[in-house]
Amino acid sequence: MPADLAVAEAPALALEMTGISKRFPGVVALNDVHLRLEPGKVHALMGENGAGKSTLIKILAGVYEKDSGTIRIGGREIEILHPSDALKRGIKVVFQEIALIAEFTVAENIFLEEYPVGRGGSIRWRTIRKEARALFERIGFDVDTDARTGALPVSQQQMVEIARALAHEARIVVMDEPSSSLTPNEVGLLFKVIRRLTSLGIAVLYVSHKLDEVFEIADTVTVLRDGRHISTRPIAEHTNDTLIQDMIGRRIETLFPRERGPASDRIALSVKNLSTAAKLKDISFEARAGEVVGFFGLMGAGRTELAKAIVGFDPISGGEISIGGKRLHPHDTRTAVSLGIGLLSEDRKGEGLMLELPVVTNLSLAALEEFARLGLIDESRERAAAQSFVDRFRIRTPSLEQPIKNLSGGNQQKVLLARWLMRGLSVIVVDEPTRGIDVGAKSEIFALIDRLASEGHAVVMMTSEMPELLGLSDRILVMAGGRITESFTREQATQEKVLNAAIG
Amino acid sequence: MVSEVSHPAGPGNAIGRLANNSQIVLIAVLVILCVGVSLAEPQFYSGANVIAILRQAALVMIVGAGMTMLLITAEVDLSVGASLAFVGVVAMDVINITNSVAIGSLAGIAFGGLVGLVNGFVVTRLKVNSLIATIGTMMILQGSVFLYSREAVQNHHHLAAFVDIGAGYVGPLPIPVIVAALFFAVAYVLLRHTTLGRYLYAIGANQKAARLSGIRAERLKLFAFVVTGLLVGVAGLVLVSLMNAGQPTAGRGFELTVVAAVILGGTSLAGGRGTLLGTLLGVLVLKVIDNAIILLQWNQDLQMIVPGVVLILATYLDLAKRRANAR
Amino acid sequence: MPPSVSLGRSNRLGAGAVDAFAVLTRRSDITLVVALIVLIAFFAFTAEYFFTLRNLTNVLGQASLAMIAGIGVAIVFISGEVDVSVGSLQAAVAIPLIVIMNHTESLTLGLAGALALGLAIGVVNGYLSAYVGINSLIVTLGMLFVLRGGVYLYTGKTAIPDDVGLDSFFALGNESLFGVVPYPAVVAFVLLLVFMYVMRHRPFGRMVYAVGGNAEVARLAGYPVRWVKFVCFVISSLLATISAILLASRLGSAVHLSGLGFEFQVVAAVVLGGVSLSGGIGSLFGMALGVLILSFLSNGLGMLDLATEWQLVITGIIIIVAVAFDELKRRRA
Repeated sequence: MPADLAVAEAPALALEMTGISKRFPGVVALNDVHLRLEPGKVHALMGENGAGKSTLIKILAGVYEKDSGTIRIGGREIEILHPSDALKRGIKVVFQEIALIAEFTVAENIFLEEYPVGRGGSIRWRTIRKEARALFERIGFDVDTDARTGALPVSQQQMVEIARALAHEARIVVMDEPSSSLTPNEVGLLFKVIRRLTSLGIAVLYVSHKLDEVFEIADTVTVLRDGRHISTRPIAEHTNDTLIQDMIGRRIETLFPRERGPASDRIALSVKNLSTAAKLKDISFEARAGEVVGFFGLMGAGRTELAKAIVGFDPISGGEISIGGKRLHPHDTRTAVSLGIGLLSEDRKGEGLMLELPVVTNLSLAALEEFARLGLIDESRERAAAQSFVDRFRIRTPSLEQPIKNLSGGNQQKVLLARWLMRGLSVIVVDEPTRGIDVGAKSEIFALIDRLASEGHAVVMMTSEMPELLGLSDRILVMAGGRITESFTREQATQEKVLNAAIG
Repeated sequence: MVSEVSHPAGPGNAIGRLANNSQIVLIAVLVILCVGVSLAEPQFYSGANVIAILRQAALVMIVGAGMTMLLITAEVDLSVGASLAFVGVVAMDVINITNSVAIGSLAGIAFGGLVGLVNGFVVTRLKVNSLIATIGTMMILQGSVFLYSREAVQNHHHLAAFVDIGAGYVGPLPIPVIVAALFFAVAYVLLRHTTLGRYLYAIGANQKAARLSGIRAERLKLFAFVVTGLLVGVAGLVLVSLMNAGQPTAGRGFELTVVAAVILGGTSLAGGRGTLLGTLLGVLVLKVIDNAIILLQWNQDLQMIVPGVVLILATYLDLAKRRANAR
Repeated sequence: MPPSVSLGRSNRLGAGAVDAFAVLTRRSDITLVVALIVLIAFFAFTAEYFFTLRNLTNVLGQASLAMIAGIGVAIVFISGEVDVSVGSLQAAVAIPLIVIMNHTESLTLGLAGALALGLAIGVVNGYLSAYVGINSLIVTLGMLFVLRGGVYLYTGKTAIPDDVGLDSFFALGNESLFGVVPYPAVVAFVLLLVFMYVMRHRPFGRMVYAVGGNAEVARLAGYPVRWVKFVCFVISSLLATISAILLASRLGSAVHLSGLGFEFQVVAAVVLGGVSLSGGIGSLFGMALGVLILSFLSNGLGMLDLATEWQLVITGIIIIVAVAFDELKRRRA
């Protein structure tokens, strides 16, 4: 869909951002970035994780304040210091994290930003319910508008979030990875919403790293890399390759160095008929020493649930887990760790890091007992061991005493991986190991995972990133609806086959 | 991509370093207070007065050691005041019945431990927010101590050993101060140098991460509650001995003094941060202020106002410091 | 990746779970209503003078003070903060009330003085908690100390009697509308209705729920999060002031000990009423039921000649059980 160049008079820009820079302690997140949105057009903003996409839209939304640069709307320069400033200017941002009040009904959440009120100032609940229902009917999305929002599945919440954009008099709608938790069916609905927005003359900024979606919906593409503006071109001028080239700046193969040999025959982890009350149904698989087993699935397929169940974090309702031939019983993390299995969680802040505590304390947490006699910690041994991991993994930190919150995402992730290696696990479960990590650090994490396998660890990797899955795994297991639906060897697997199996 | 960090780090453990900063402020406050008060009232520096301050501080310090552990794990116990009174009543009663200081003391300490166990159970098993849970047990204890005994339980047998617990001396040092020093030392080593202590910090800093690392978070929290309870038992014994009677009304507001001292010492309500040394300094600052109010013959009701203001101020300073660090 | 394959399942199962949940949450109020009825029935049969008009209006009069303050405390809780300063506030604001009345013989000026002090306390609580960002438990706990100490300091630990004895002032806490419903109960009922309406039908009320439910989302929706919290603290202090005025009228003086432990009674009622400590959840109706249950309980136990201390014990147990039950329900959901 090339831009319609036949329009006689060039329309005024809906939004113009120029020279935008933003720096955080230790990181230049944005460096002299510019962006121009036209009314009635879909502008895609692309880039790898850490490229600066989120920072840019958070500046637009009034979540962050820019350090320098100007923002113009309809030619007039404006300042956005608070989310309410953005809303007043008609900028509506749909964030990747659900921005809904869980305890409110779907209908109320639609009107969160401006309740319709009657003459006396009372909220007109009937209007809210009626208009919310009409709104969802218009886009053909079937949801109970009187339901408590928090009780809906994540993908439906995301759709509610998107539908909100229609309820306001927005002139600019920004969508941050809106499809990340949607089913293909819902992605169709999403595109319908977007086309409706553009037909009303609204400018849409579509933030994504999914090529097929961008080719389908966007008119223009801007690519960011490492906080810099790389290119802005009509989509028609792009091919898959040129877009990847712009985003990554190098060829994809170099991201996945593969140095390990074939896996051994020794079974390190065996899961038989595993079920949980909430999600998992009859899961069976094995992982051998020296092997990377990749799990793929759409949002809600049960990957994270599986990861948490096999390391004893979440309770199970049936089945058996054995590590190195020994059964995981009782089913708790302490037993799991002592048998040699541990989880690198997808939620680094929530389930991994002790943000205020130093690197060394974070690193040695799981292996602390090895440095202790009668409960007393030998700190010099602890530090020496930590230092050796910092050196080996090339963890960039000024010192072992640095609070870990001051490290970059990639280095934090390396510390958490090192936490498990220090403990000497035989099976390591990694869930979305490169989430929120910049490209350079990503390839380092990939190399580390490869090295773990080559050193004889069994690696179970949960991921939603197709390149990562195909690039790293020896075997690929696909999940849907809490079950394993398909299994592929490295050679058999292709994007299409894996995705089809995931759709179920 | 390399994170350049704005704070150069010196040698030494960072947990210690963080604490040292706020400790320097506290030490300075303490010194200024002491100098100021002794200029206004030279009597402040008399040996007898110093001993009196230390004895007052000992009671708060004993319980403060446990409370510091609890706050480090991001929990709190507001029932310590009510429990303190109940322990005294129980211990006195059992001593009167058995005529044995040892059995009575054990009964008192065991009672304190039991209260801690119940608190810990309610918090870790029933998942009740510890603030609410211990307000609940506080009410239960306040009510039931009166049901147990409407009046103060007097020391019927006048046992000398009993009076010594609170009022006795070893050399120049009062026994409560020695007891407090002992518990301080043990708790200090535990928090600073053992795996157990490190795990308490880990649980407060990120409970899920701790669990994933194979740490039994709930069990260790229960442990911290029980330790606090046992220490309340010890402090209750000291108090009942000092008063020479088990007073059901004793310990009113004690929980707030302890929490104020611990927070003043730099332990965060959010968990994961704090040191015992800080708590000691917090206790001393509060007790020196108390003492000064008496010495300077100011209205004693100021003893209520000062900890309130100090509590808010200390939290504010901690907040301001952390914000400055974040920049 | 061809998204043309439309194989997504519509999620009927989710919708069913939603309905069940909605019923469950509504049921927590019903549980309280049932508990209240059972309680009243129990005492009506076991205590001779319990189910008399005189006693019932008496309970309402007692309950109304906790209910008035409870509205404010519940609102603060819903906004995601806590306010435990209301006990000492009751003693503190009675002082300007009585002292000014004694000097000026004017009820209006006395009331203005009390409300001004209440407002000031609310402003300080709100400013330190919402704008400076100090943990509100610490702020209001500190305030609890400071106010009580201040009251002792000012009064020298004695009560200040009302020397003027204005009829209008006496009437506030001691007389009844049409000779039946005590004025404090009328005030409580009106305030309860007003704030139930505000919390449900005014944008401000919804903002309070949103701010407590998820402050970040509220910020993104353009809400002035700090201002909303600030106003909640001010409301809480002003309502506690009203309860203090009624109390002072009943006592006929500013008593230095009044309101001792009152903050815990109110918190107990609020929590029993299903208002969550973590914010965003709960209703004023539930809070009112919580207050009534605790008031009838203490009155009934008193009539059964049980020692008054039993009330403390039972209240403590109820708090723990109520919260444990809520938590269990939440984990099931």
